[in-house]
This record gives sequence, structure tokens and C-alpha cells, in this order.
Amino acid sequence: MKTKNIEIVLPPRPAHYVGDGFRVHNFIPSGFRADMQRMDPFIMLDYNSKFEFPPSEQPKGVGVHPHRGFETVTIAYQGKVAHHDSGGGGGVIGQGDVQWMTAASGVLHKEYHEEEFSKKGGFFQMVQLWVNLPAKDKMSKPKYQGIVNEEMGKHELPINSGIVEVIAGAYKDTKGPASTFSPVNMMNAKLNAGGKANFNFPSHYTTTLLVVEGNVKVNGQEVALDHFVIFEKEGESFEVEASENSIALILSGEPLNEPIAAHGPFVMNTQEEIQEAFQDYNIGKFGYLED
Amino acid sequence: MKRFSVFLEDKLGLTTSQVEDLLLSKQTKTINKGDFLLEQGQICSHSFFVEEGLLRMYALNNDGKEHVVQFSPENWIAGDRGSIYFNEPSNYFIDAIEETTVVFIDQPFLDQLALVSPDFRTKNEFLLHNHIRHQQKRIQLLLGATAEERYLDFIQLYPNLLLRVPQWMIASYLGITPESLSRIRKALADKNFAG
Repeated sequence: MKTKNIEIVLPPRPAHYVGDGFRVHNFIPSGFRADMQRMDPFIMLDYNSKFEFPPSEQPKGVGVHPHRGFETVTIAYQGKVAHHDSGGGGGVIGQGDVQWMTAASGVLHKEYHEEEFSKKGGFFQMVQLWVNLPAKDKMSKPKYQGIVNEEMGKHELPINSGIVEVIAGAYKDTKGPASTFSPVNMMNAKLNAGGKANFNFPSHYTTTLLVVEGNVKVNGQEVALDHFVIFEKEGESFEVEASENSIALILSGEPLNEPIAAHGPFVMNTQEEIQEAFQDYNIGKFGYLED
Repeated sequence: MKRFSVFLEDKLGLTTSQVEDLLLSKQTKTINKGDFLLEQGQICSHSFFVEEGLLRMYALNNDGKEHVVQFSPENWIAGDRGSIYFNEPSNYFIDAIEETTVVFIDQPFLDQLALVSPDFRTKNEFLLHNHIRHQQKRIQLLLGATAEERYLDFIQLYPNLLLRVPQWMIASYLGITPESLSRIRKALADKNFAG
């Protein structure tokens, strides 16, 4: 098996606010060499690096907005997020949990800091990833997968190296609970200082790594906290070694290789479908949700 | 000035080389969200072609309430034609709802266009009448249509503004309260939402 080398390591871009509750660094699509085509099937990645929010009586967050044509995956490392949608769904994404929302044909939703968390304030750290849907599934029915931490596949690494927590796809013989529309592997490597783990993915998959805690060496090269690694589309295997207790989010997905037409919250295959999304949104086909 | 170039070619009948020559000395200006291009009482000396972003033209009534007359997203032109043509103080404000890049258009520039393009006068007259038609329809809708009819006309005219403009501003443009706009959108969703 050939080594999968690092193509580029991206430092976090200056943070901006999404609404008033998410202070994020965008890696996809605005990072250097991290556009939607290159990162296919991953079309957006916002990273709220660890940030302390002061207590707030009024929960901070993002008001009502639509999505169509893809899935949003929210990974809560620290803090809690409450959400509601126009289909009547709602809930809380707890610390360590993942919400996998298939927006598909369209939902309106809003996301806020969970009430108790908001009142107390505290450290908040989160990833929001958009996974594109194959053309044939873009107009399928919206759905949710709320994945609590206990449900994730837990692969114990040898010699007390730590664990790999599998959200989707598989790590060796350990599978993740999320169902996906195209092959996607998503996992947290939670490594103890000095711990090592090897990963293997097909060479043509889009493969990335984000250091969310500590710092690691990837194939021997130092990668610091909050930095984002894009791997070459050659070779299959790479090694992650923790320099201290660390967490790295690893994503690897098979490119859909379909045309992308994107406008704000809509990601479709053609401009006509984007116009249709606007029209459908305007006449209420996404439902209604009070701000 | 990509959009402005296309506008000059498509709508005013200029050739690519004429546009290139004309735009040599022209520059765009980018203003921040909330900045004004025109304030009430000033004489409006330019129209503003929107390259990127979104402008709003509005008036204030005696109670200080805002009434939105027009939104101008990309490819639209904002300006107080009355103030420009009759050289009188404007009743309107024009501000930016988003960071906006505009091209300033003044009379000498229009004179230049008329010199280089024989079609300019006819094409410009067409645009003027199109504008009058739009204004007449807007008056008719404000006087005689239901709020829902006005909303449906709004989304035809401005398909992607709902996601860019706060609800209260859209309500102001439609001449209804934000609560009425919510009711209309909820009723449409009840009818059209399959989820």
C-alpha cells in the first residue's frame, strides 16, 4: 500500500460570525485549493475553534434559513446546540454528539446555543460540514440522524494509543452508525500523547484531517491545533501520531463527479435548479418556521 | 465592471470595443453596508448601477417611518430621476443593505454614450418606459391588490431577495406590517409545503 502524502496544510482563516452564535473559520470552499470541486463531495466546512462565549440570557445562534440539495453535519465538540425545523423536528445536539441532517428537497431551520449553555456561557467548539448529495437524491425527503456519542463505533487502538470514534463509514472492522448517500468516512481519532493510528482510504477519495485538540504529526510532519490537512489523491495510507493528547477529525469521501451549481444555501447541479430553489423557497415549499 | 459592460452591450446596444473605450476612465466604488449614496434634501446628481450588492431607496414619513420605494440588486440602477432631471432636492435616501459596488452614471457619461452609439436614444427610451410601466404597476398593486398578490408579484420581480433582506424591509416595500407578511408566508407554506 502506498503512502498518502499531505498536499497542503491550511492554517485557520480569520474567524467570522455566522449569525451571532457561531464564530467560525471557513476551510471549504474558501481555503486555498479547497474549493467545492476539489473537495467533492464535501462542499462546505466551517470550524468554530474553541471559543468562550460569555453568559447570555438570549441564546445566540442563526435564525431561520433554508437548505436544499445536500446534508449538514454538525459535530459538537464542546457546548450544546438547540435546533428547530419547518418539518416540526427539533432537539439538542449535546457535547460529543453529531447531528446529520439530510436537507435534500428542502427544510427551513434555525440553530441556537442550547438555553442552559447560553445562560451559563462557556467553551464552544464545533464543526459544520456540508456533504453534497448525488443528483438522484437531491430532491429526496428531508430527514435527521441524531447520533449520540454512545452510538458511535469505538475502535480501541493497540498499546494504549487511544480510540477511533467512527461516525460514518468504517475504521478497520469498526463501523459508524450514520447512513450516507455516497461513500463517506468520518471519524475522530482520539489519541493519547505518543499514540499512533494508521488510516487507509481509496486513493481517489477526497481525504482531509482537522486537528481539533492538541497537535499531531501526520506521516511525521507536525500539524498544529486548528490546522486543516488536505491529502493528495494518490496513495492510500497515512499515519497520525499525537504529540500530546489530541483529537483529529478525519474525513474521506468518494467524489460524486457531478456538476455543482451553488448559491448560498442551495447546492444543485444546474442554474435552473437554483432558480427553482429560490422560487420554491419564496412560495413556501420549504414550509414555515417562526424566527 | 463586468455586469456594467454586459448591460451597456445588451441593453444599450454598444459594441465590445465601444464599451472598452468608454470604461477606460470609469471606476467602481464600493460602499459599506449602511452607507448612503443619497440623503433627503440633497440633489441627486448620479444614477448608480449595481455591480455587486444591494441598494435600497426609501422615504421617511413625518413619524420617521421608512417606506421602501425600490430595492436595487445586481444589474439594477438606483437613483432619484426626478431630482436628477429637474435639479431639485430629493425626498429619498439611498443606502446599501449589503456591501455594494456601484458604477456612477452622470449626464456627461450619458451624452458620451449618445455620441458613440446611434441606438442609444431609442434603447434608453425603452428603458425609461419600462421603468414607468413598472412604477404604474406598483401604484396599481398598492392601491388595489391584496397583500398576497403584492407578495407574489414581489417574488417574481426579485426572486432572490427574500434571503437577503430583513422581513420588515420587505413588509415596508409591500406596504404591510411584518406580521401580515409572516401570515402570508405561513398561509403559502400551509398550501405548498409537502414535508
